[in-house]
Amino acid sequence: MTFAFRDFRSVGWSAAVAALVAGTMVSAAQAQAKDVIKFGAPLPLTGALSPEALKAKQGFEIWMEMVNKAGGIKVGDRKMKVEIAFVDYQSNTPKAVQAAEGLITQEKVDFLFSPHGSGAAKAASNVSEKYKVPTVAATASSTQVFDQKPRYLFGTYTPNETLLAPLFPIAKRDLPSLKKVAIYTRNDLFPLALSQAVEQTAKKNGLDIVFNEKYAITALDHSSALSQLKAAAPDWIFVFGYTNDNLMIRKQMIDQRLEAPLITMLTGPSYPEFVEAAGVAGSENITGASWWDAAVRYTSEDVFGSTEGYIKAFKDKFGIVPDYGHASYTVAAVALQLAIEKAGTTDREKVRDALASLDAKTFFGPIKFNEIGQANSYDPPIFQLRDGKTVVLYPEATKQGDLRLGVK
Amino acid sequence: MSKYIILGVVLVGLAAAPLTGDTYLMRMATLACMYAVMAASWNLIGGLTGYPSFGTAAFFGLGAYTSGILATLGVALPVSIAAAGVVAFVVAAIIGFILLRLKGHYFAIATLACVELLREIANSATDLTGGGMGLNIPRNADLGIFAEASLFFFAMWGLLALTAVVCLVVERSKIGFALSCIRQAEGAAEMIGINSTLYKTLAFALSGVFVAMAGGVYASWVHYIEPGDVFDILLTIKPVVMALIGGVGSSVGAIVGAIVYIAAEEVIWRNYLDFSSGIIGLTVVGLVLFLPHGLGSLHLRLRGKAVTP
Repeated sequence: MTFAFRDFRSVGWSAAVAALVAGTMVSAAQAQAKDVIKFGAPLPLTGALSPEALKAKQGFEIWMEMVNKAGGIKVGDRKMKVEIAFVDYQSNTPKAVQAAEGLITQEKVDFLFSPHGSGAAKAASNVSEKYKVPTVAATASSTQVFDQKPRYLFGTYTPNETLLAPLFPIAKRDLPSLKKVAIYTRNDLFPLALSQAVEQTAKKNGLDIVFNEKYAITALDHSSALSQLKAAAPDWIFVFGYTNDNLMIRKQMIDQRLEAPLITMLTGPSYPEFVEAAGVAGSENITGASWWDAAVRYTSEDVFGSTEGYIKAFKDKFGIVPDYGHASYTVAAVALQLAIEKAGTTDREKVRDALASLDAKTFFGPIKFNEIGQANSYDPPIFQLRDGKTVVLYPEATKQGDLRLGVK
Repeated sequence: MSKYIILGVVLVGLAAAPLTGDTYLMRMATLACMYAVMAASWNLIGGLTGYPSFGTAAFFGLGAYTSGILATLGVALPVSIAAAGVVAFVVAAIIGFILLRLKGHYFAIATLACVELLREIANSATDLTGGGMGLNIPRNADLGIFAEASLFFFAMWGLLALTAVVCLVVERSKIGFALSCIRQAEGAAEMIGINSTLYKTLAFALSGVFVAMAGGVYASWVHYIEPGDVFDILLTIKPVVMALIGGVGSSVGAIVGAIVYIAAEEVIWRNYLDFSSGIIGLTVVGLVLFLPHGLGSLHLRLRGKAVTP
């Protein structure tokens, strides 16, 4: 058995040497980067969330290109170029936490972006708190992410409650008989948070919840839940989940001839893919909301100058109109940039303070964080799908049309 | 004797991780200890007894939630981890008593279903577990980066040492002998008077205890768990692969396999951004095809000798 020991030892050594070589290569690359601000972005490039990661990467890349073209980020009286280290966390939250720690300790990034979604952002925020690294979360909207009052975490999404609340007065005005509400939710952090928010808002508005069920993350067949939902004859149906869930449920609703004056779905209708797959007829009059839409118009103090400027730059580089998936990541980077410029230094503590007191106009909308670090400074647009296009119903400033009732 | 030397070297080598002061390396070492606990535990039922259990994730999640919920109620870390072990022992004994009547593929599928079942329970018991919203585990007072990394590293390391000792004792004892008999021919084992139900159940329960305790340490280490993370099917599959790498049937092999796997995964993950999972998959397939008895049989392969399990 002594042979086994020696053999094991040699395998162990080669693994150790390989790890060491990889490690030195990384640190050698860092040594020459002095006039560069390095950002870390853990992204789910492979696995279930990979479509989101591609959008995120494009959102970051357009920002990085524009900033570097303009000479870099203005820090005091000099300009520093931007570099983003991307790491794939395989759509696996524990791996996202590991990636965040690796970016801080191995890649020596100056600042961090959160991994995708509320759950992963929450898990990884424990690492950035520990290392005191200012971190901007592009897609963490659940207030629960911020409920332990993290000091270094800032989210550019307004709380979930703000997303649909403004639709209630509009719906009550246009449908005076509105009384019964049904909610069908994916059992997952973000959809559940949306569902809780709607439940509270509905009760506040004197409406009855006649159906409120959750479906499993892996659910494919919704028929029995939908027939129960149909039997409750709701005036307004809310379906929460991601694009694939929304599509599956929408198709099964049509199969069951489940109709209602109002059907609101999140997050599917925010993406062009939803209309492509559900068809123009299948998506007609469905309402939705998101934190940004290409229809909004803001002038900004960021590198893009305005919402139009952002859309044009994005279209020139990638050939498509950005949706909110792209824009959310771009604005996270923009917020960090503006905070660094305001602080005039890359000192983490000062940038953290600059983020906390940030009040900036961006192409995404005005960005300002509340005392727990979540943005509360803009009205997320509510829209309705008509003829396969989004028509903005709210806010008033960017309104494109009135609510239409009846979803078949 | 040599397996004790290997184990000693591995444990001492791992314990040196904090000397580097590199907290990321300590994270890797903590993970390696965690997976080593799981691989060695799996080896008790999967390797020694020959029952292919896919229930590792079930016990990991059970332990994580037991200890996590206790921690939110203010119970101290060592107590909550011990409680996770006790709960897992009882639950595993009950599940084992029922499921160990099945063999081969049937047993594998039934244990896999246990993972799904417990995940759904964690998902729907929203008041207790937070459901899909996840569970926040309160941070222990701000210890500082290095102290916190050391605390969880040594917790996991201690757990690994304990697991290794228990596994080696079991392997050498009457229980280990009985389990080997059951693997080779269960009917014959019963004929010579081995109470197979008792021993199988005991092995299954033991295989759950340390995994659950590792889950408990993990939960307080990451401060936030959700059902999808701790009942992840990968937590079931990876320990099996690690045991395969080390050579099925030997707990020291399983521990070495876990460390080799974690090191290889890290190197590949760092160097191949988009295709790391694919390369790891290919490596595993290659290992199983060309070195089916694990790294422990490497010297025999090199000398061109036939390998017998």
